[in-house]
Amino acid sequence: MSLLEVKGLTRFFGGLRAVDDVSFTLEAGTILGFIGPNGAGKSTTMRIIATLDVPTQGEVLLDGKSVVEYPDLARPLIGYMPDRYGTYEDMTVLEFLDFFARAYKLKGKEREQRVQGVMEFAGLVPLKDKLTSELSKGMKQRVALGRTLLHDPKLLILDEPADGLDPRARIELRELLKALAAQGKAVLISSHILTELSEICDACAIIEQGKLLATGPVAEVLSRSAGAAPSSELVVRLFAPAEAVEALGRKAERLLLEQPLVSNVSVDGLTVRFKVELPAGTPPPPAWVDDASARLLKAMLAAELPVCSFQTRQLDLEDAFMNVTKGRVQ
Amino acid sequence: MSAAAPDALDRFGLELGERVNPIVVKEVRQGLRTRTFWIFFALMLLACLVIALVAFAASDGGADKTGFGTFVAVFVALSLVQFFVIPYTAYRSMAREREEETWVLLTLTGLGPRRILAGKIGSFIAQGLLYASAAAPFLLFSYYLNGIDLPTILVAVVIAAGYQIFLVAVGVSVATLAESRIVRALLHFALLGGLFLALTAGISSSVGVAEEMRRLAGDDAFWVAAFSVLFALVTTGLLLFEAAAARLSLPTESYARGPRLLLVVQALGMAGLFALAFVVSHEVEALVIGAGLISLYVAVAGTFFGADRDGMARNHWARAGRFHLLRPGALRGYVLLVLVLAVGVGGLVALAMSRGGVALTDDKLVVMLTAPGLAVLYLSAPNVVARWIPHPPWQTAALVRILFIGLVVFGSGVPPLIGQIVLERPNDDALNALSPVMAMVNASEHGVTPALLLLWGVAVGVAFWTYFVLRARDAETHA
Repeated sequence: MSLLEVKGLTRFFGGLRAVDDVSFTLEAGTILGFIGPNGAGKSTTMRIIATLDVPTQGEVLLDGKSVVEYPDLARPLIGYMPDRYGTYEDMTVLEFLDFFARAYKLKGKEREQRVQGVMEFAGLVPLKDKLTSELSKGMKQRVALGRTLLHDPKLLILDEPADGLDPRARIELRELLKALAAQGKAVLISSHILTELSEICDACAIIEQGKLLATGPVAEVLSRSAGAAPSSELVVRLFAPAEAVEALGRKAERLLLEQPLVSNVSVDGLTVRFKVELPAGTPPPPAWVDDASARLLKAMLAAELPVCSFQTRQLDLEDAFMNVTKGRVQ
Repeated sequence: MSAAAPDALDRFGLELGERVNPIVVKEVRQGLRTRTFWIFFALMLLACLVIALVAFAASDGGADKTGFGTFVAVFVALSLVQFFVIPYTAYRSMAREREEETWVLLTLTGLGPRRILAGKIGSFIAQGLLYASAAAPFLLFSYYLNGIDLPTILVAVVIAAGYQIFLVAVGVSVATLAESRIVRALLHFALLGGLFLALTAGISSSVGVAEEMRRLAGDDAFWVAAFSVLFALVTTGLLLFEAAAARLSLPTESYARGPRLLLVVQALGMAGLFALAFVVSHEVEALVIGAGLISLYVAVAGTFFGADRDGMARNHWARAGRFHLLRPGALRGYVLLVLVLAVGVGGLVALAMSRGGVALTDDKLVVMLTAPGLAVLYLSAPNVVARWIPHPPWQTAALVRILFIGLVVFGSGVPPLIGQIVLERPNDDALNALSPVMAMVNASEHGVTPALLLLWGVAVGVAFWTYFVLRARDAETHA
């Protein structure tokens, strides 16, 4: 049984269908990236799962129990971090975490230990006596993440946690989330920064205009999003003196267009990009991209093209997102 | 002193810290850290000190009676803080919680809106106690200057304490009303104005009661009035508290229960107090006024309770039927209002006829029957009119409230105007049968006329129509 099961979730706001028949599952110890443009229905879905809103139709099961019917049982299992961190500016980090620990009904020594444990995990111990107003955005976000962990929830729901963070803070957040998943927590995370999600997510769900367009393990979503025809993008870099760049580019383009399976050739200075693609409906033979790459490299070298780098570009979540969505908002 | 005593005290302190509402701990901690608290604390203390020094210099060893004047001056200094600064700070604190959406995080901890609000109010009462403890020696000092006795000081302080709690509840409740920035700004100014009026009213009534205490203490009517005011303050404070908790509640919570219970308590309590006033004074007018006020109250309350959003969360629907009147939903709120009106006014009418000697054709009875008829009509009609507006997003609780105001204004102004233009009789009975103002005036002046039957006929018809409209809306929500 999955830790979180979302089944046919639908939410109307007046005449607007903000979430439309969304279904997905999330296992313990995994990170699911919830991807979609602004207004796609990500936050609404997350708020329903966090018991902050109710669906018009559909069901959300957490640990086998409906969060709609039993919100009081679900809340202790959920750690929710909205896109606004919600830190009280006139409290120190320790006071802030202690206050929320009290609110979660933790008492005495247990509360002290839990607050200390969370501060150690999130790297907040050196900052414990600082007012939250004096912290950087990245540190405030750690405090907010610490707050969601105080009651040791099974499911973490993080709405745009990387928004506005500098690269270092993002990398640190990534490491924290990986550590949480390793502890067995399920993490549902939404973000606009898809490269970030690519690196930490085990699974993803792509949503647009309230509809779920793709869901499943990242590799599966990537291969599905690539389309009916199996394809791969390759990037070749040439080396030549400045006066020979244009001629060399034309030569490479001509050569590649003569090769079977090659399409979409584009030349930008000494960088040549192209696609190798099997005809639609053809079952891809094992390692066909490697075969095609080797053959093409051999042909280029035979034509005395000065190749200094030859790479297959991996599809990432950004490609999947662009392939699957149409850029519509509601 | 033994070493065990401090340990016991420490343990008690720790135990208390564990048991007390965490919001109180947080708010007091935050409150004592603000400049506002210390500036007003210092100013009040300074004012009390100056007042005491001036009074001491002016007194001639206790032979004169400067005590009352000193008490009033210290009381005013304390009231400025208790009736204005603290309720306003409570408002700001709650408003910030809403603006920064931290209340959502608090709700998710399982504290629940009632505990959050109780913690807020409790913490500001605690801050009020700190101010009061600083002013207490000066209030006591006024007693030693003669001119005022201890029971009078005590009564004034108790009234002030009750009033401060009420104003803090108002401040916190108002902060939960605002959804948009414009409304927030408007409410901010309205609250500042309201608190200024409340400050002057609080000071004048507390000082007035202190001044007249000895003379009024033997009068039964004074005690009935005092009890009524206390009842109104306590129940309205609680109603505001419950309404605020309902507004902060998540859709999955049973937010309607508290406000609706208090509505019943307030309406029926009001009926009980007017019945008591009738028993004490033997004046039937007490019952007539009671019927009018209950009708007015139910009609105004109807704009909130009868205009609730439709349906209820699935978790409540599964555990309660459609007619559990304390559960959310406009249908149940409306039915409860009509029942409360029937029981409250019906009881007063029965008392007037059985013990007050009021006959069926008496003008007083006509007034007692006209008021609830108008209440039923005006709390029902907005729901029917709202249903005619075809686009679903417009059928909101806010629209029903706007329509209520619109219909009352229309009903009050247009029929007398037509009467004046067409018949040259602005107070025509038939034309004004449904007019909320003129129908009441006519009932008190003209007694039984066909207008009463017309009013009740229309009111009952619209009430049934409203019931079916709300039932249909409820069914649509749960379809």
